[in-house]
Amino acid sequence: MTSVHDHSSPAGEPTVDVDDPALSQFDLVREGARRDGVEIVHYAPRFPVPGTREERRAERRIATLFVLAGLGSLAFLVIYSVWPFEYQLGAGRDKWFTPLLGVTLALAFFGVGAGIIVWSKRLMPEEIAVQDRHDGASDPAERKLTAATLLSAYEETGLRRRPLLKGALAIGVAPMGLALGAPFIGSLITDPKDDLFHTGFGKGTHLVRHDGTKIRPADLKPGGIETVFPGIPGGATNAHADSPTLLIHLRENEAEKAIANSRKGYEDAHVGNFFAYSKICTHAGCPASLYEQQTNRLLCPCHQSQFDVLDGCRPVFGPATRSLPQLHIALDEEGYFVSQHDYKLAIGPAFWERP
Amino acid sequence: MKRPTIDPGKSAAWTDDRLAVASPVRRLMNKVFPDHWSFLLGEIALYSFVVLLLSGVFLTLFFDPSMQEVVYQGPYTPLYGIPMSRAFESSLEISFEVRGGLIMRQIHHWAALLFMASILVHMFRVFFTGAFRRPRELNWLIGMTLLILGILEGFAGYSLPDDALSGTGLRIMHAIVLSIPVIGTWTAFALFGGEFPGTDIVPRLYIVHVLLVPGLLLALIGAHMGLLVKQKHTQFPGPGRTEDNVVGHRMVPGFAAKAGGFFMIVFAMIAFLGGVFQINPIWLFGPYEAAVVSAGSQPDWYVGFLDGSTRLMPPWEITAFGHTVPALFWPTVVLPGILFTVAMLYPWLEQRYTGDRAHHNLLQRPRDVPDRTALGAMAVGFYVVLFISGGNDIIAEKFDISLNAMTWIGRVGLLVVPPLAYYVAHRLCLGLQQNDRETLVHGVETGIIRRLPNGAFVEVHQPLGPVDDHGHGELGYAGWAVPKKMNRLGALGSSVKGFFVPIEQPTEAPVSPAPSRELTGARGDD
Amino acid sequence: MISSSAARVGDRFRRHSGLVVLALALGLLGTMYAAFAPVSQADEQKTTASAEDVREGQQLFEGGCITCHGRNAQGVQDRGPSLIGVGAASVEFQVGTGRMPMARNEAQAVRKPALYDDKQTRQLAAYVESIGGGPQLPSGELRSTDKDVIAEGGRLFRLNCSSCHAFGMGGGALSSGKFAPSLQPSTDRDLYAAMLTGPQNMPVFGDNQLTRDEKKAIISYVQAQKGDQDPGGAGIGRTGPVPEGLVVFLVGIVGLLIATLWIAGKS
Repeated sequence: MTSVHDHSSPAGEPTVDVDDPALSQFDLVREGARRDGVEIVHYAPRFPVPGTREERRAERRIATLFVLAGLGSLAFLVIYSVWPFEYQLGAGRDKWFTPLLGVTLALAFFGVGAGIIVWSKRLMPEEIAVQDRHDGASDPAERKLTAATLLSAYEETGLRRRPLLKGALAIGVAPMGLALGAPFIGSLITDPKDDLFHTGFGKGTHLVRHDGTKIRPADLKPGGIETVFPGIPGGATNAHADSPTLLIHLRENEAEKAIANSRKGYEDAHVGNFFAYSKICTHAGCPASLYEQQTNRLLCPCHQSQFDVLDGCRPVFGPATRSLPQLHIALDEEGYFVSQHDYKLAIGPAFWERP
Repeated sequence: MKRPTIDPGKSAAWTDDRLAVASPVRRLMNKVFPDHWSFLLGEIALYSFVVLLLSGVFLTLFFDPSMQEVVYQGPYTPLYGIPMSRAFESSLEISFEVRGGLIMRQIHHWAALLFMASILVHMFRVFFTGAFRRPRELNWLIGMTLLILGILEGFAGYSLPDDALSGTGLRIMHAIVLSIPVIGTWTAFALFGGEFPGTDIVPRLYIVHVLLVPGLLLALIGAHMGLLVKQKHTQFPGPGRTEDNVVGHRMVPGFAAKAGGFFMIVFAMIAFLGGVFQINPIWLFGPYEAAVVSAGSQPDWYVGFLDGSTRLMPPWEITAFGHTVPALFWPTVVLPGILFTVAMLYPWLEQRYTGDRAHHNLLQRPRDVPDRTALGAMAVGFYVVLFISGGNDIIAEKFDISLNAMTWIGRVGLLVVPPLAYYVAHRLCLGLQQNDRETLVHGVETGIIRRLPNGAFVEVHQPLGPVDDHGHGELGYAGWAVPKKMNRLGALGSSVKGFFVPIEQPTEAPVSPAPSRELTGARGDD
Repeated sequence: MISSSAARVGDRFRRHSGLVVLALALGLLGTMYAAFAPVSQADEQKTTASAEDVREGQQLFEGGCITCHGRNAQGVQDRGPSLIGVGAASVEFQVGTGRMPMARNEAQAVRKPALYDDKQTRQLAAYVESIGGGPQLPSGELRSTDKDVIAEGGRLFRLNCSSCHAFGMGGGALSSGKFAPSLQPSTDRDLYAAMLTGPQNMPVFGDNQLTRDEKKAIISYVQAQKGDQDPGGAGIGRTGPVPEGLVVFLVGIVGLLIATLWIAGKS
């Protein structure tokens, strides 16, 4: 097996008698390759003299890798079977279950993979083979024959000279496509009606906490904030994902500013120093609930829109374009917060139908 | 030599008797693959996909995409007694009650991240070496489609556990769909089966995630590989390499062994990541509730660039005639639409620009096509600014930078970085070319200093080939790698032997190598 | 809502309704306070400070705090706010976590090694308490290991705290250089004091909003999570997709690139 250059015969044509007993196995390999358009131009063993120290060292290295892989797999199996993995709060042995599985599994795969690669790099013969590409288009004659077959099939139908059939086919097939598509699209369509303009709040709906309890002004200290929900069945669940509202208790002097900045129609939306704004960001719908009580800003953690609570929750930074809608609130006879009515504006992100 | 008996084995004979596959099988085994490290990047994606299929099948055995409300009673005590959807509960079951379930979940998620990351670096390699040129435009298109489907598949998977983070992601996706002019509202209601979030979206995304998109991915990966086999792999230019041949190893034994070994190593990497690095700890996030959010809410990295574009977008909303085109529409629908369209059409755009419509099987080194490389650098710069901005709140927090400043850095960076990247990459390409040409003309620095009679010191240069009367090399510029060091010419022993351990061997006095054409670029493409 | 026919009448009322509601609210507030405050104050004032402590505290105050917070803690314009009525809890939090005294005027005071020891902090707190009252920390155990309490604390944490401090409690960025700090170094009393007093930009969570048991539940959850080793390996900050993306490139892609160089390299 030496590096032999043999350009005597064009690739792809059988030139040798494969039954010739004088041929070595590699001669046959080379012949097979040649028939496939591949010429092996260089093929040399890594260790021309077998049994050198270098070769044995390579063998040992590969063997070590495979043994490591086997040990990794065994360790994996043992840990998988007997290691306690039931979750315990705190630091415990169960917390090592997953890391140990990962490390042993990685060792197993790495050992096998690296072993194979070292084997192929260090022990398998060095080879350079050259293959012809036979690139590009088909043989022109072939092309012509195929084109003729296609064209003939088309022309045999006579579509070109039978316009009636052409039209009838279009009329017959197009509706079929629609008929197939209709159930997929039609059954998915849901009329949005004016759902996007309504939340769970209505006239006299209580503002309640996550656990359903009502809220009085004394519950919230100045500089405090509470997420409130409509006091209706399921009001705090995802069934009313557009309803979460922030009830903010501003400090006296800041409340004055906020009241002075009230938008038209919102002069009576607050109760004392209490203001309620939608928690749903007008940009992409995340809860804009990072409240900075000194700067009176609300920040949305998704895209960093910032709203000025003292100025009608006007967006002052980031991609949001609209103020957070304000909820008109009042107190009922028992002194609990209620909404005067639903939000006047659609809450959450903008959409086409929203003016 | 003793002739070994050729016995293909009974089963092989049995098969061939019926199928006559001896020739095609041999042709396949004899197929030649070129050898270059960068050709293995796509393989990472392929192997990650195999891991995704295997781990994904495991997860489907335990995951229940139901939105039915349940109260958690499982072993994870910090969530004990909390109402949640069955989907979230079953995700917790996989994490805490199924033996080995957590590592499978983590392996699945890491494999997904690695799948997308390797697609990206593979795409960079294909782009910067011109591998997308005729006849491979179709495979470029398929690859781009795979990238887009991968993002879709990843997003669907991210949404399935119904934890607070995935719910936040879904909410933003809902807002994005809503932002589409004219059809947005109706489309959103069709997808979600009513108002957000409803109970339909998770089961629907589940079937998208486990059947529709994986089916498409599988088919397209098959087509991608099929075209690769049919068209044969490209190769870098080098000695003996032409447009009409492939120089490398035959599939069996050389290439298959290395690919098989690499397969195992990719598996090992994913298993390592899956065990050692915690990913997507849904138990910390809790079940999705519309009022709950966390600082630093992010999508997985491959959607990060869209999150970045959304963050950088100025608050520009169009309102007219009682209708609204929200600001959200531009960075999340229009921008990716343009980006992906331009990327898909790039092979044809370049053909039109350069007028080069020829067949190409030889790759180009990035430096040899400064315009394309610079354009690519510009695109990468644009992408990186968006990508970094996608995590700008985390960066602001960890590095003590103002969040607002980060946003402005991103906005300005988006305008400044791409042209800068273009300029720098272009100059770099020309400079590297110049350096190659200089070596071709003047030869390699030998490190031998000679003192001239007039007292001046000069370094002796080893010409790479025949020289003319002025002592200038006559080799033309061929776009091959040019050796720059004496040991690359074989004059000295390899300075780095093996991969990790440099062994500087004291060699005998350097012998001036015979300047011959064969030596040029003898180390080919590495 | 007011119907269109009554709109004009409504307008007249609306002009005054704000005042009416305000008066109503204030009245109610007073009633509520009267109803609730004595109970909670009696509860809170378990740690009565001696006159000695107050005197010591005043001396400390005049040595280290007076520059910014002014004589008698009345505050100095543009330097430091008045401390009248902020209460002992606030002092314990700000001084105990080293945030006060501030090194310089910046966007936000940061946690650093405390300048005053526990005794001095208590004395300062006693002094500030003596000049205006205000919220105090309860004594005793603030943490429970009961799983129902922890789970309830988790629910409250996600609803009230995670938006700024993040699910993983690593903190998060706020606007213009401000930030919500990580809860990693926080003690039970730090957490309680922070909720009670709303230091800096943090909203106040008074005892009527988050009851003392609810605050304790949140503390139990936070401390339980902090002490919970990550079941899935290294937590990489428990920050979610950003560090995960970093790891997949720095470990995954870089590691496999090295592998490709090795595989394709010459042997």
